Amino acid sequence: MKQSLQPTFNQDSADAVQARFALLVTAALSEHLAQAAPADIDARLRFAHDQALAVACRARTVAIAAPAVIGVSGGAAVVGGGPGATPWWLRLGALLPLAVLLAGLALIDNHYTRSQIEAAAEVDAAILADDLPPEAYRDQGFVEFLKTARP
Amino acid sequence: MATDKELSDFLKSVEKRAFKRTAYTVRNDDAALDIVQDAMIRLAEKYADRPPAELPLVFQRILSNATMDWFRRQKVRNALIVNLSEFEGADDDGGDFDLLELLDTSDNRPATESAADSVGRKQILELIDVQVAQLPTRQREAFLLRYWEELDVAETASVMGCSEGSVKTHCSRAVHALAKALRTKGVTL
Repeated sequence: MKQSLQPTFNQDSADAVQARFALLVTAALSEHLAQAAPADIDARLRFAHDQALAVACRARTVAIAAPAVIGVSGGAAVVGGGPGATPWWLRLGALLPLAVLLAGLALIDNHYTRSQIEAAAEVDAAILADDLPPEAYRDQGFVEFLKTARP
Repeated sequence: MATDKELSDFLKSVEKRAFKRTAYTVRNDDAALDIVQDAMIRLAEKYADRPPAELPLVFQRILSNATMDWFRRQKVRNALIVNLSEFEGADDDGGDFDLLELLDTSDNRPATESAADSVGRKQILELIDVQVAQLPTRQREAFLLRYWEELDVAETASVMGCSEGSVKTHCSRAVHALAKALRTKGVTL
Protein backbone atom coordinates (compact mmCIF):
# COMPACT_ATOMS: atom_id res chain seq x y z
CA MET A 1 0.00 0.00 0.00
CA LYS A 2 2.77 2.32 0.95
CA GLN A 3 4.62 1.51 -2.27
CA SER A 4 1.59 2.28 -4.45
CA LEU A 5 1.11 5.67 -2.82
CA GLN A 6 4.74 6.66 -3.20
CA PRO A 7 4.68 7.51 -6.96
CA THR A 8 1.49 9.57 -6.52
CA PHE A 9 3.07 11.51 -3.70
CA ASN A 10 6.21 12.10 -5.75
CA GLN A 11 4.13 13.20 -8.73
CA ASP A 12 2.09 15.61 -6.60
CA SER A 13 5.25 16.97 -5.10
CA ALA A 14 6.83 17.45 -8.53
CA ASP A 15 3.66 19.17 -9.77
CA ALA A 16 3.72 21.50 -6.78
CA VAL A 17 7.36 22.42 -7.36
CA GLN A 18 6.66 22.91 -11.06
CA ALA A 19 3.66 25.13 -10.29
CA ARG A 20 5.65 27.15 -7.78
CA PHE A 21 8.47 27.71 -10.25
CA ALA A 22 5.99 28.63 -12.98
CA LEU A 23 4.24 31.14 -10.76
CA LEU A 24 7.58 32.77 -9.86
CA VAL A 25 8.40 33.07 -13.56
CA THR A 26 5.01 34.56 -14.41
CA ALA A 27 5.28 36.95 -11.46
CA ALA A 28 8.61 38.07 -12.90
CA LEU A 29 6.98 38.51 -16.31
CA SER A 30 4.23 40.65 -14.78
CA GLU A 31 6.81 42.75 -12.96
CA HIS A 32 8.83 43.18 -16.13
CA LEU A 33 5.71 44.08 -18.10
CA ALA A 34 4.72 46.71 -15.55
CA GLN A 35 8.21 48.25 -15.63
CA ALA A 36 9.09 47.99 -19.27
CA ALA A 37 5.89 48.74 -21.22
CA PRO A 38 6.60 51.77 -23.44
CA ALA A 39 4.22 54.73 -23.25
CA ASP A 40 3.08 54.37 -26.86
CA ILE A 41 1.98 50.79 -26.23
CA ASP A 42 0.08 51.90 -23.15
CA ALA A 43 -1.60 54.60 -25.24
CA ARG A 44 -2.51 52.14 -28.00
CA LEU A 45 -3.94 49.71 -25.45
CA ARG A 46 -5.95 52.51 -23.85
CA PHE A 47 -7.29 53.47 -27.28
CA ALA A 48 -8.23 49.85 -27.99
CA HIS A 49 -9.88 49.61 -24.58
CA ASP A 50 -11.95 52.76 -25.25
CA GLN A 51 -12.90 51.52 -28.71
CA ALA A 52 -14.07 48.20 -27.30
CA LEU A 53 -16.18 49.91 -24.66
CA ALA A 54 -17.74 52.19 -27.28
CA VAL A 55 -18.60 49.16 -29.42
CA ALA A 56 -20.13 47.37 -26.41
CA CYS A 57 -22.15 50.47 -25.55
CA ARG A 58 -23.41 50.77 -29.14
CA ALA A 59 -24.28 47.06 -29.30
CA ARG A 60 -26.26 47.37 -26.08
CA THR A 61 -28.06 50.52 -27.28
CA VAL A 62 -29.15 48.81 -30.50
CA ALA A 63 -30.25 45.70 -28.61
CA ILE A 64 -32.35 47.76 -26.21
CA ALA A 65 -33.68 50.27 -28.76
CA ALA A 66 -34.77 47.80 -31.45
CA PRO A 67 -37.85 46.36 -29.68
CA ALA A 68 -38.93 49.81 -28.45
CA VAL A 69 -38.73 51.46 -31.85
CA ILE A 70 -41.01 48.93 -33.59
CA GLY A 71 -44.06 50.85 -32.39
CA VAL A 72 -42.76 54.16 -33.68
CA SER A 73 -43.66 55.32 -37.20
CA GLY A 74 -41.25 54.30 -39.99
CA GLY A 75 -39.49 57.60 -40.75
CA ALA A 76 -38.27 58.13 -37.20
CA ALA A 77 -37.28 54.51 -36.79
CA VAL A 78 -34.57 54.68 -39.44
CA VAL A 79 -32.54 57.11 -37.30
CA GLY A 80 -31.80 54.53 -34.60
CA GLY A 81 -30.11 51.94 -36.82
CA GLY A 82 -26.42 51.34 -36.19
CA PRO A 83 -23.87 50.11 -38.75
CA GLY A 84 -23.57 46.34 -39.01
CA ALA A 85 -26.67 45.66 -36.89
CA THR A 86 -29.65 46.49 -39.13
CA PRO A 87 -32.85 45.14 -37.58
CA TRP A 88 -35.05 42.91 -39.75
CA TRP A 89 -37.90 45.40 -39.85
CA LEU A 90 -35.61 48.09 -41.29
CA ARG A 91 -34.53 45.70 -44.03
CA LEU A 92 -38.20 44.93 -44.64
CA GLY A 93 -38.91 48.67 -44.79
CA ALA A 94 -36.34 49.04 -47.57
CA LEU A 95 -38.39 46.60 -49.69
CA LEU A 96 -41.61 48.61 -49.22
CA PRO A 97 -41.08 51.04 -52.18
CA LEU A 98 -40.40 48.08 -54.48
CA ALA A 99 -43.62 46.39 -53.34
CA VAL A 100 -45.60 49.61 -53.96
CA LEU A 101 -44.08 49.95 -57.45
CA LEU A 102 -44.98 46.35 -58.37
CA ALA A 103 -48.53 46.78 -57.07
CA GLY A 104 -48.88 50.00 -59.15
CA LEU A 105 -47.68 48.27 -62.32
CA ALA A 106 -50.14 45.41 -61.75
CA LEU A 107 -53.01 47.91 -61.31
CA ILE A 108 -52.09 49.81 -64.50
CA ASP A 109 -51.90 46.55 -66.48
CA ASN A 110 -55.27 45.46 -65.15
CA HIS A 111 -56.85 48.84 -66.01
CA TYR A 112 -55.40 48.76 -69.56
CA THR A 113 -56.67 45.22 -70.22
CA ARG A 114 -60.17 46.12 -69.00
CA SER A 115 -60.33 49.25 -71.15
CA GLN A 116 -59.28 47.18 -74.21
CA ILE A 117 -62.04 44.67 -73.50
CA GLU A 118 -64.60 47.43 -73.01
CA ALA A 119 -63.64 49.11 -76.31
CA ALA A 120 -63.91 45.79 -78.19
CA ALA A 121 -67.31 45.15 -76.57
CA GLU A 122 -68.53 48.58 -77.63
CA VAL A 123 -67.51 47.95 -81.26
CA ASP A 124 -69.14 44.52 -81.20
CA ALA A 125 -72.35 45.97 -79.72
CA ALA A 126 -72.44 48.76 -82.35
CA ILE A 127 -72.00 46.27 -85.21
CA LEU A 128 -74.63 43.91 -83.88
CA ALA A 129 -77.11 46.74 -83.23
CA ASP A 130 -76.65 48.28 -86.71
CA ASP A 131 -79.30 47.94 -89.50
CA LEU A 132 -76.70 46.39 -91.80
CA PRO A 133 -75.76 42.77 -91.21
CA PRO A 134 -72.07 42.21 -90.21
CA GLU A 135 -71.56 40.24 -93.46
CA ALA A 136 -72.04 43.48 -95.42
CA TYR A 137 -68.64 44.73 -94.17
CA ARG A 138 -66.94 41.75 -95.83
CA ASP A 139 -68.14 42.96 -99.26
CA GLN A 140 -65.24 44.88 -100.85
CA GLY A 141 -67.57 46.98 -102.95
CA PHE A 142 -69.52 48.13 -99.92
CA VAL A 143 -66.27 49.00 -98.09
CA GLU A 144 -65.14 51.00 -101.13
CA PHE A 145 -68.54 52.74 -101.19
CA LEU A 146 -68.18 53.68 -97.55
CA LYS A 147 -64.70 55.14 -98.18
CA THR A 148 -65.64 57.16 -101.25
CA ALA A 149 -69.20 58.15 -100.28
CA ARG A 150 -67.99 60.15 -97.24
CA PRO A 151 -68.35 63.94 -97.77
CA MET B 1 -24.61 40.18 -18.23
CA ALA B 2 -21.40 42.18 -17.73
CA THR B 3 -21.85 45.89 -17.09
CA ASP B 4 -19.69 48.50 -18.78
CA LYS B 5 -17.59 48.79 -15.65
CA GLU B 6 -17.12 45.03 -15.35
CA LEU B 7 -16.14 44.83 -19.01
CA SER B 8 -13.77 47.78 -18.61
CA ASP B 9 -12.16 46.27 -15.50
CA PHE B 10 -11.79 42.93 -17.22
CA LEU B 11 -10.15 44.45 -20.29
CA LYS B 12 -7.81 46.50 -18.11
CA SER B 13 -6.80 43.38 -16.22
CA VAL B 14 -5.93 41.36 -19.33
CA GLU B 15 -4.88 43.82 -22.01
CA LYS B 16 -1.18 44.07 -21.16
CA ARG B 17 -0.70 40.35 -20.72
CA ALA B 18 -2.68 39.74 -23.90
CA PHE B 19 -0.39 42.14 -25.75
CA LYS B 20 2.75 40.52 -24.37
CA ARG B 21 1.59 37.00 -25.15
CA THR B 22 0.64 38.00 -28.68
CA ALA B 23 3.92 39.84 -29.14
CA TYR B 24 5.79 36.68 -28.11
CA THR B 25 3.89 34.78 -30.77
CA VAL B 26 3.93 37.19 -33.71
CA ARG B 27 7.21 38.91 -32.78
CA ASN B 28 5.91 42.28 -33.89
CA ASP B 29 4.57 44.86 -31.44
CA ASP B 30 2.38 46.70 -33.96
CA ALA B 31 0.79 43.48 -35.19
CA ALA B 32 0.29 42.34 -31.59
CA LEU B 33 -1.46 45.62 -30.75
CA ASP B 34 -3.73 45.25 -33.80
CA ILE B 35 -4.58 41.68 -32.85
CA VAL B 36 -5.35 42.58 -29.24
CA GLN B 37 -7.48 45.53 -30.33
CA ASP B 38 -9.34 43.30 -32.76
CA ALA B 39 -9.93 40.69 -30.04
CA MET B 40 -11.14 43.30 -27.56
CA ILE B 41 -13.58 44.75 -30.09
CA ARG B 42 -14.86 41.30 -31.06
CA LEU B 43 -15.42 40.50 -27.39
CA ALA B 44 -17.25 43.78 -26.81
CA GLU B 45 -19.35 43.44 -29.94
CA LYS B 46 -20.45 39.83 -29.62
CA TYR B 47 -20.00 38.75 -26.03
CA ALA B 48 -20.56 41.83 -23.87
CA ASP B 49 -23.85 40.30 -22.73
CA ARG B 50 -22.07 37.28 -21.20
CA PRO B 51 -21.65 36.99 -17.43
CA PRO B 52 -18.33 38.45 -16.20
CA ALA B 53 -17.10 35.01 -15.09
CA GLU B 54 -17.20 33.76 -18.70
CA LEU B 55 -15.23 36.65 -20.16
CA PRO B 56 -11.66 35.35 -19.48
CA LEU B 57 -12.12 32.07 -21.34
CA VAL B 58 -14.08 33.69 -24.18
CA PHE B 59 -11.45 36.41 -24.54
CA GLN B 60 -8.58 33.91 -24.64
CA ARG B 61 -10.37 31.98 -27.38
CA ILE B 62 -11.02 35.12 -29.39
CA LEU B 63 -7.41 36.23 -28.97
CA SER B 64 -6.15 32.82 -30.02
CA ASN B 65 -8.39 32.86 -33.12
CA ALA B 66 -7.40 36.43 -33.96
CA THR B 67 -3.73 35.43 -33.76
CA MET B 68 -4.32 32.45 -36.03
CA ASP B 69 -6.21 34.70 -38.46
CA TRP B 70 -3.21 37.01 -38.51
CA PHE B 71 -0.89 34.13 -39.34
CA ARG B 72 -3.23 32.97 -42.11
CA ARG B 73 -3.32 36.45 -43.63
CA GLN B 74 0.45 36.67 -43.42
CA LYS B 75 0.77 33.27 -45.07
CA VAL B 76 -1.53 34.34 -47.89
CA ARG B 77 0.59 37.43 -48.45
CA ASN B 78 3.76 35.36 -48.38
CA ALA B 79 5.15 37.84 -45.91
CA LEU B 80 6.03 35.31 -43.29
CA ILE B 81 7.89 32.05 -43.52
CA VAL B 82 6.43 29.85 -40.84
CA ASN B 83 9.02 27.74 -39.19
CA LEU B 84 6.95 24.62 -38.68
CA SER B 85 9.59 23.02 -36.55
CA GLU B 86 8.79 25.67 -33.96
CA PHE B 87 5.29 24.25 -33.59
CA GLU B 88 6.53 20.73 -33.04
CA GLY B 89 8.19 21.43 -29.73
CA ALA B 90 11.58 20.26 -28.69
CA ASP B 91 12.16 16.72 -27.58
CA ASP B 92 14.36 17.98 -24.81
CA ASP B 93 12.48 17.45 -21.58
CA GLY B 94 14.99 19.33 -19.51
CA GLY B 95 17.15 16.45 -18.36
CA ASP B 96 17.53 15.27 -14.82
CA PHE B 97 17.94 18.11 -12.41
CA ASP B 98 16.08 19.40 -9.43
CA LEU B 99 13.80 22.39 -9.91
CA LEU B 100 14.16 23.13 -6.22
CA GLU B 101 17.75 24.14 -6.90
CA LEU B 102 16.42 27.18 -8.72
CA LEU B 103 13.95 28.21 -6.05
CA ASP B 104 15.40 30.50 -3.46
CA THR B 105 13.75 29.10 -0.35
CA SER B 106 15.50 31.35 2.13
CA ASP B 107 13.28 33.86 3.89
CA ASN B 108 16.05 36.29 4.73
CA ARG B 109 15.74 38.48 1.66
CA PRO B 110 16.34 42.16 2.34
CA ALA B 111 13.18 44.24 2.73
CA THR B 112 14.66 47.05 0.68
CA GLU B 113 16.99 46.84 -2.27
CA SER B 114 19.88 49.01 -3.36
CA ALA B 115 20.26 50.60 -6.79
CA ALA B 116 22.63 47.79 -7.75
CA ASP B 117 20.07 45.22 -6.64
CA SER B 118 17.43 47.05 -8.64
CA VAL B 119 19.55 47.00 -11.80
CA GLY B 120 20.37 43.35 -11.20
CA ARG B 121 16.70 42.52 -10.74
CA LYS B 122 15.86 44.35 -13.95
CA GLN B 123 18.44 42.30 -15.82
CA ILE B 124 17.02 39.10 -14.40
CA LEU B 125 13.51 40.09 -15.46
CA GLU B 126 14.81 40.90 -18.93
CA LEU B 127 16.54 37.54 -19.07
CA ILE B 128 13.40 35.69 -18.03
CA ASP B 129 11.43 37.58 -20.67
CA VAL B 130 13.93 36.54 -23.34
CA GLN B 131 13.92 32.92 -22.22
CA VAL B 132 10.11 32.78 -22.29
CA ALA B 133 10.14 34.30 -25.77
CA GLN B 134 12.54 31.58 -26.92
CA LEU B 135 10.29 28.72 -25.85
CA PRO B 136 8.60 26.75 -28.65
CA THR B 137 5.25 28.31 -29.52
CA ARG B 138 2.94 25.63 -28.16
CA GLN B 139 4.92 25.22 -24.96
CA ARG B 140 4.94 28.95 -24.36
CA GLU B 141 1.22 29.25 -25.09
CA ALA B 142 0.34 26.43 -22.70
CA PHE B 143 2.66 27.75 -20.02
CA LEU B 144 1.35 31.32 -20.22
CA LEU B 145 -2.32 30.37 -20.41
CA ARG B 146 -1.98 27.95 -17.52
CA TYR B 147 0.16 29.98 -15.15
CA TRP B 148 -0.05 33.62 -16.29
CA GLU B 149 -3.70 33.73 -17.30
CA GLU B 150 -4.46 31.22 -14.54
CA LEU B 151 -6.74 29.05 -16.66
CA ASP B 152 -7.14 25.46 -15.48
CA VAL B 153 -5.91 22.54 -17.56
CA ALA B 154 -9.29 21.92 -19.22
CA GLU B 155 -9.73 25.60 -20.14
CA THR B 156 -6.19 25.79 -21.50
CA ALA B 157 -6.82 22.68 -23.58
CA SER B 158 -10.04 24.22 -24.87
CA VAL B 159 -8.33 27.46 -25.92
CA MET B 160 -5.41 25.64 -27.53
CA GLY B 161 -7.60 23.04 -29.21
CA CYS B 162 -5.69 20.06 -27.81
CA SER B 163 -6.05 17.42 -25.11
CA GLU B 164 -5.50 18.03 -21.40
CA GLY B 165 -2.61 15.58 -21.51
CA SER B 166 -0.92 17.68 -24.19
CA VAL B 167 -1.33 20.78 -22.06
CA LYS B 168 0.36 19.07 -19.11
CA THR B 169 3.17 17.86 -21.34
CA HIS B 170 3.69 21.30 -22.88
CA CYS B 171 3.67 22.95 -19.45
CA SER B 172 6.10 20.47 -17.99
CA ARG B 173 8.48 20.82 -20.92
CA ALA B 174 8.24 24.60 -20.77
CA VAL B 175 9.03 24.65 -17.06
CA HIS B 176 11.98 22.34 -17.49
CA ALA B 177 13.31 24.27 -20.47
CA LEU B 178 13.04 27.53 -18.57
CA ALA B 179 14.61 26.09 -15.47
CA LYS B 180 17.50 24.71 -17.48
CA ALA B 181 18.04 27.97 -19.34
CA LEU B 182 17.90 30.04 -16.16
CA ARG B 183 20.22 27.68 -14.33
CA THR B 184 22.70 27.99 -17.19
CA LYS B 185 22.58 31.75 -16.79
CA GLY B 186 22.99 31.46 -13.03
CA VAL B 187 19.57 32.88 -12.19
CA THR B 188 17.82 31.87 -9.00
CA LEU B 189 14.19 32.76 -8.44
